[in-house]
Amino acid sequence: MRYRIKHITRYNYAARVTRCYNLANVIPRDTARQRCLSNRITLSPLPSTTHKRTDYFGNKAFHFEIQKAHSELSITAVSEVEVADNDNAPNLDLGIAYKDAQEYFRKSSKPEIIEAREFLLSSPLIETSDVLADYARPSFDPKRSLKSCVADLTRRIFREFTYDPHFSTIATPLADVLKHKKGVCQDFAHLEVGCLRAMGIPAKYVSGYIETLPKPGEQKLVGADATHAWIAFFCPEEGWVEFDPTNDSMAGNQHIVTAFGRDYFDVTPLRGVIFGGGAGPALSVSVDVSRMAGPQA
Amino acid sequence: MPNPVTSTEPGQSQSQTQVVPLLPLEYKSHSDLLDDACTPQGSIKPEWEYMLGGLRDLGPEALRERAQKARRILRDDGATFNIYDGEGGPGGSWELDPVPYIIGSEDWARIEAGLLERSELFNLLLRDLYGPRTLLRHGLLPPEALFSHGGFLRACQGIQMPGEQELIVHAVDMIRRHDGTMCVLSDRSQAPAGAGYVLENRTVMSRVFPSLYRDSHVHRIASFYQRLRHKLISLSPSDEAPLIALLTPGGQNEAYFEHTYLASYLGFSLVQSGDLMVRNGFLWMKSMDGLKRVDVLLRQIDDAFCDPVELRSDSRLGVPGLLEVVRSGRVVVANPLGSGVLENPIFLKYLPGISKSLLGREPRLDSVQTWWAGDDDDLEFITANIRELIIKPAYRGTGISSVWGGDLNDEELNKLLATVHSKRYQYVAQERLQKPHIPSFANGALEPRPALLRTFSVASDGTSYKILPGGLTRIGTDTGSGVISMQSGSPSKDTWVTASEQERTASIDSVPDSARIAADSPLLSLPSRVVENLYWMGRYSERAEAALRLLRTVFVLLRGEEPISPNAQKILLHTVSDITATLPGFTIAPQELLANPDEELLDIIRDGSRAGSVKSTLNSMLASADESKELLSTDTTRVINDLRDAMVELDVVLDSGLTSAPEEALDPLVTTLTALSGLMHESMVRGIGWRFMLLGKRIERSLQTLNTVRCLATPVVDDADQTTLLNALLVSMEVLITYRRHGRQRRGIELGLELVLLDDRNPRSLLFQLEQLQQHLAELPKAETKPGELAEEDRALLEAMTSLRLARLPQLLETSSPTREELGQLLLQLKQLLQEFNRIISDKHFDHRTDEQHLVTSFWGEQ
Repeated sequence: MRYRIKHITRYNYAARVTRCYNLANVIPRDTARQRCLSNRITLSPLPSTTHKRTDYFGNKAFHFEIQKAHSELSITAVSEVEVADNDNAPNLDLGIAYKDAQEYFRKSSKPEIIEAREFLLSSPLIETSDVLADYARPSFDPKRSLKSCVADLTRRIFREFTYDPHFSTIATPLADVLKHKKGVCQDFAHLEVGCLRAMGIPAKYVSGYIETLPKPGEQKLVGADATHAWIAFFCPEEGWVEFDPTNDSMAGNQHIVTAFGRDYFDVTPLRGVIFGGGAGPALSVSVDVSRMAGPQA
Repeated sequence: MPNPVTSTEPGQSQSQTQVVPLLPLEYKSHSDLLDDACTPQGSIKPEWEYMLGGLRDLGPEALRERAQKARRILRDDGATFNIYDGEGGPGGSWELDPVPYIIGSEDWARIEAGLLERSELFNLLLRDLYGPRTLLRHGLLPPEALFSHGGFLRACQGIQMPGEQELIVHAVDMIRRHDGTMCVLSDRSQAPAGAGYVLENRTVMSRVFPSLYRDSHVHRIASFYQRLRHKLISLSPSDEAPLIALLTPGGQNEAYFEHTYLASYLGFSLVQSGDLMVRNGFLWMKSMDGLKRVDVLLRQIDDAFCDPVELRSDSRLGVPGLLEVVRSGRVVVANPLGSGVLENPIFLKYLPGISKSLLGREPRLDSVQTWWAGDDDDLEFITANIRELIIKPAYRGTGISSVWGGDLNDEELNKLLATVHSKRYQYVAQERLQKPHIPSFANGALEPRPALLRTFSVASDGTSYKILPGGLTRIGTDTGSGVISMQSGSPSKDTWVTASEQERTASIDSVPDSARIAADSPLLSLPSRVVENLYWMGRYSERAEAALRLLRTVFVLLRGEEPISPNAQKILLHTVSDITATLPGFTIAPQELLANPDEELLDIIRDGSRAGSVKSTLNSMLASADESKELLSTDTTRVINDLRDAMVELDVVLDSGLTSAPEEALDPLVTTLTALSGLMHESMVRGIGWRFMLLGKRIERSLQTLNTVRCLATPVVDDADQTTLLNALLVSMEVLITYRRHGRQRRGIELGLELVLLDDRNPRSLLFQLEQLQQHLAELPKAETKPGELAEEDRALLEAMTSLRLARLPQLLETSSPTREELGQLLLQLKQLLQEFNRIISDKHFDHRTDEQHLVTSFWGEQ
């Protein structure tokens, strides 16, 4: 499937911003199941310098500096991404058992496992803990396949937690999310990543987009799509496998990855320092994910 | 008086204060303590004999005097190490024990070889950790040891410096063990503190013990700093003469003295966060003549604080966007951002294997034995032996300090163990080594004190390093004390690597240590913040002086033999409130307060929390002086020290209220300020900083003169009061003598005003100030103007000058109302013009920084 994604981030300031320095993670990276065909970023006002680079996690980081006074900043990223179709649902019961996988991560000296062990540790926004392990344990039967254990955990989070955009902020600790069983996709992804790490499974946070389809007979609204977050865990046979706890699914051809990281901290869509700006900059984000016609590449 | 006793004249000090008979200065080791100056049998080691013999000849009294002299020099140099004791402001002088730590040159050669190897090793380690990470892949370092460490900055992956060396400065803390070898306790790879203090210690020691120092043939240290300077210059990405800046957190930092000292010794610009900005992909310093491109930054702040965009977002010490400039190679930061990862003590456990892999052999210098709780066997060992171990966090940035298990009770131990088990990757345990003792001067005798040595390496040519011979020795405050830390007030020592007999004939290093490498070097450029602070130093010093002179005058008049009228008293007191800007103060005071003004006057002098009080003005001046410390001469620092003393002294004198002659209590302050004023004229380089300092002084003095004249000369009063007020004006403006010399013919207010306002021979007159301002203005950097067109500031000043010159005094003084309105009008007009002038100058030349804030998108955006 081929997608065109238009992601607009806009800031309105109460007072003039004289200059700013920013780092944006809005360019979809290549992964095992997707390729970014093109990407164009438009900034207003015009930047004095820009720089694209591949960061530590293999993501596409975009840096820019603006030296022109402004009271509105907008970043428009337009990307075309080819996502591989995975029509036949995999049999989750096959593959390495949880217990063997856990053992494997501890003992293997393969370079990819050594690297994956970074994703077993606590990270800036995810502190692994016994509480998380206690929550996750019922899903992890040592003899079951690792994939079906993760699928079970994903389903439990989907079923037991309520999607509530008013409950949490980026600063809400995982313990609160777990206690109140509320949050948004970012919280669910953080929670699942934390649970997996606590159970000895390397897990990443994935940021990206998800295509939403209108109800039958309704017109799709412009800007109605959203940035989204899910998880990836390391499976000894297949490498990184993505699950989406907000939708109780594996990441399929409607999930478009922007970036992988230890947690949200590593892949924040836009961060930076502004000079001036006054109180409470107002942020608005709009995302459109549309299918493109044309031959498969 | 100190007696000039030298080591060649065996010292019988003739000090008159002594009552105790002199005991010879003999050093005795404690039999149960490890001692680095004595053999286990208690005899002095050969390399120590010469120096200790010299001290023995000197005797305790003379040594005490030398120690005092050392303290005086340190004080005059402004050598401080700020210790935060919870009482707010920084304080604390740098402590130097007068007995050096001696290391023989053969012994040193072994240590040096070990250090050279260690710095090379750590350099390779750094390159691997931010590069291919082969050590992880080859199983020489568990991934958790790196990935869980707070010093591993992922944003710094792949950044490379020109050349083979990433690690530019490397410091190592070590102690001597029983078998005579050195053992490394920790490595410092961020911005190791101490190299500046080493230089200061050496400078002081060579002055205080000239012959002992000379005859001990101590290895010189100056070439270390030259290497550092050359290395930094060689890193510059620019083809032109590089601008190298030393980035300090500022005057509140504990080691600020060292930053100012090193910057000035090396000829680098001393900058703070606000002096720098990233623009168009380059790093710039805001200087008086515009933005100057910075090529190399020697940072004195931890890497995580250097760029709030990509690293710690709560940092106000760094420069937003810096990391991107570093990535593009347009500025080089030393040590490189990310180098803090090398301070990870977990590496010590794996160092032999790492060294074999990177260098092909095990390190020559041992490190303290380290167990990592992240390793299963080690965790078991730690759990079983916690009472015998030092437990410390792997990452210093957590703010958790290390503890000795033996100091804890059962409950605390269990708590600590629980923490270690739950965050096992974050903790290490280390064996506790007995610290060696060395002779130190305490209680009039040589006593053993535990010692710790910090050495310094600097990247040199190719892949090699240069080691500073010796280093910074720190000692415990008591015999057997376990803790040595600068923050807890541990004194320091100079470290002498002394040549053996044969070597003494050959010259070791020709560069004298005290020579400043590069005063007025082309690398030096002033950030505008420093210049602005000099300007404020000028203004505050003048403001304080004006207030003090007026207060002194008022005290004399209020307590004089001839009583003055209540009206004159009222006007004088109003003037005090007005001049010090401690309004409303006396201006709304009831009659009783005006009759009993002591308490308010006392307040105006010593209440530091009240804006405008003498104390608060002086504190502001001292703060400005601190910000421009690197430009002040030693003499100026000395006078500033005197000023601090005079302020303390005044507090003591005024503690029980105003004395019968309070004006005398103010004299020392006035004298010191006058001395400072003299030094500003006589001992500062006529650079842009000097111009702004004097500009500040002249502007302040003009404004104060206008205010004083308005307060004292515009009210129309009876003859007796007129005499009192005129007297006050003349005395506080220092023109009474000139006034009297004019003889009986011309007296009265007209002559007084002429002297104070219009006499261009009187350096305190207003006209004189304006002329001086014109001269300074002519020398300032300026934007181009069209022919015949005046710049705004020239215009304002010329208008003030002209209005003053056109004034006719007799006409101004004529009046029928209770105030001299025309005079008042003129004074007001002049004041407005001068304020306008001041505004233009500061807008043009000083940086007005807008607040920065952090921007992070919340994930779900518009929801």
